[in-house]
Amino acid sequence: MNAKAFLAEHRRFWLGLCSVLVFVSVWEIILTYIFPVNPFFFTKPSLIAVAFKEQVLGAKLWHDLAVSSQAFIWGFSFAVIIGIPVGLVMGWRRRVEYSLDPFLTALYASPLVALAPLFIIVFGVGVLGKAALVFLLAVFPFVFNTFAGVKSTDSLLINVIRSFGGGEKDLYLKVILPSTIPYIIAGARLAIGRGLVGIIVGEFYAASEGIGFAISQAGDTYRLPDMFVGIIILSFIAVVLTEFMRKLELTVAPWRASDEVR
Amino acid sequence: MKPEKLFAEHESFILGTGFILVLIAVWESIPLWYTLPRGMALFFTTPSKIAVAFSQLLLDGTIEKHFWVSAIAFLAGLGLSIVVGLPLGLIMGRSSTLEDLLDPYITAANATPRIVFLPLLILWFGIGIWSKILIVFAGAVFPLLINTYVGVKNVNRVLVNVVRSFGANEWQLMKIVVLPNSVPYIIAGLRLAIGRAILGVVVGEFFGSSQGLGYMIASAATNYKVDVVFVGVAIFMALSVILTLAVKHLESRLVSWRPETAKTF
Amino acid sequence: MAPFIQAEHLTLCFRSKNREPVTALNDLNLSVAKGEFVSIVGPSGCGKSTFLNIVLGLIRHDSGTLQLNGTPITGPSQERAMVFQEFGLLPWRTVVANVELGLELKGTPSSERVKRAAELIKLVGLNGFESHYPHELSGGMKQRVGLARALATEPQVLLMDEPFAALDAQTRDLMQTELLQIWERTKKTVLFVTHSIEEAAYLSDRVIVMTARPGRAKDVLQINLPRPRDYEMRLTPEFNEIKLRIWEVLKEELGPRG
Repeated sequence: MNAKAFLAEHRRFWLGLCSVLVFVSVWEIILTYIFPVNPFFFTKPSLIAVAFKEQVLGAKLWHDLAVSSQAFIWGFSFAVIIGIPVGLVMGWRRRVEYSLDPFLTALYASPLVALAPLFIIVFGVGVLGKAALVFLLAVFPFVFNTFAGVKSTDSLLINVIRSFGGGEKDLYLKVILPSTIPYIIAGARLAIGRGLVGIIVGEFYAASEGIGFAISQAGDTYRLPDMFVGIIILSFIAVVLTEFMRKLELTVAPWRASDEVR
Repeated sequence: MKPEKLFAEHESFILGTGFILVLIAVWESIPLWYTLPRGMALFFTTPSKIAVAFSQLLLDGTIEKHFWVSAIAFLAGLGLSIVVGLPLGLIMGRSSTLEDLLDPYITAANATPRIVFLPLLILWFGIGIWSKILIVFAGAVFPLLINTYVGVKNVNRVLVNVVRSFGANEWQLMKIVVLPNSVPYIIAGLRLAIGRAILGVVVGEFFGSSQGLGYMIASAATNYKVDVVFVGVAIFMALSVILTLAVKHLESRLVSWRPETAKTF
Repeated sequence: MAPFIQAEHLTLCFRSKNREPVTALNDLNLSVAKGEFVSIVGPSGCGKSTFLNIVLGLIRHDSGTLQLNGTPITGPSQERAMVFQEFGLLPWRTVVANVELGLELKGTPSSERVKRAAELIKLVGLNGFESHYPHELSGGMKQRVGLARALATEPQVLLMDEPFAALDAQTRDLMQTELLQIWERTKKTVLFVTHSIEEAAYLSDRVIVMTARPGRAKDVLQINLPRPRDYEMRLTPEFNEIKLRIWEVLKEELGPRG
């Protein structure tokens, strides 16, 4: 493949890469040669790179990541275990839907983070408080996406199974569950974002370790390069998780022309 | 016959409100049948106490004072995100080069919880209204921006060609075809943006402010005034629900021909 | 010949929450002999698809009798299989897995399922497409999968609800001829619902014309064209005459637009 064709195909990637490289270079050049750097308010890529190397080679960063991950995984797992069945039951039994829908919709629409101070004070500043907050924020996308998935099952397919004499169990295993999986994965993608907010807010509010705490502490002590390192690492993790979910959605459900609103 | 028929017709409403009322009643009655251990009792409150606290705070003007502080930050931040997000989204939708150039930043910023930038903002702008407005802006601008440019990109090619064949220039194209077609996406984006904006106000006021409803919640929590915490949470909940319903109503009014692909999650 | 499917005084009324009840079928009588290919034509809304669903067993009639080989029909069973207009293939299953669906639900052991599915895929001409997914297939191919799936459980009766309506004209013609070839080989009893007089005349032994809603059988026309039929028959004056006869009966039911 000649150079021109290769560039054209991966145009999006190359333009993006150039954009980032140019941005970083301009940033570095301006702050080194044009404006003097006031280390309390500004920093530049070279300093960030140094801090990044130090942190990666040190132990604190990994410890912080481990602490935050632990709380996130606990909270997220419970969100999956509780959220999906609730969504399934809501989709399955109309009365359950009628009873739970207004209440859960109101909760979903509200900034549940507002309860963070209360959670931290009741559950303490350790894993439990943070995990509870993550659970509270992450459970709703699972409930509502699973519910939407069940309700959107093509009724024609249900008739097909029925016409072959299939029972309720067959209906669930062969049509409703497979049909719902893409929705659940989309829900997982949303839940990841919301769960991360929970971890960060929890750690900003009252913690002594964790990546969120590290960022806010770096801010308090005016160590800008360290703060940027924390932000970049968190951002990287968030992007990787979210893009992984998107790819998963596409693999599991290639038949859905999903052009979506992020 | 009548009561059964009445129930059947309004079944969803009755079950929905009934459930909420039952929950409130159970909550209220907990102290009656369960004595909490000493430690827990400090953190416990009941709906009636919350209502009492609410009326007190309302009467002495505390709520009003904090509400307006929050409202200003919310409106300013949301307004800024509309002013920046909408035009940028329109241009990005029409120029795939621009879209490709900006894509890495948008993908990264959209996936990252914007809250993470709060310490940086506080460092630069101090504890005050600006760090709040900017965090609200940072949260709200992305759904608006992204939905706008997805809406623009999804414009029906055939319609564009039709209008072009009559000799329309880029500006006329925008006005006649692209904009109307994007409206459902933009409104959906607005709905998401409002949710994020409220989130931004809450978190911004937890850490970066000495006034506002979020501050009220945080300081009440520190002083173990749990009923005040719930008053604040309830106000935010009510605001969220009202605003979201208002936008949903707007959505259904404006968009009866809505294209199937504008998803709502 | 003793009737294989017999409907007598069949009546069905749809009741929905906020609307007036709608009588879909009123005193419908018809019979189908074993191995016959019978088409049902009628104006939109006359209840022909509803009738098919009653024979399938997914809807219960309100009154009258419906019997298959002397036994009343009370629910779905594998003696009757349907081919749907919108195909109804499970999008997450391959062609093979879709064809095996009925056998799977019946509890047929895996080795036999695989064998049977392979036979049918060959019968409908989809060799080489076993591992494809529905969204990778054209409309005609999807409907062949639907047909293979319906035949897999060896039903006695094949119910076809406007199966070719969603296909383009050329594919439709092709599928009609292939359907006849498959029918000649498998000798099923077929109940075929369609809007197209030409299709009904070309495919069937008999054509039943239904009245407008509430539906009942208005007239039955015997199609005396020789079998096997081929495309050129559609261009003969005899065929046109048959079409005209059907049209004469049908047009009275079509209301002001007809």
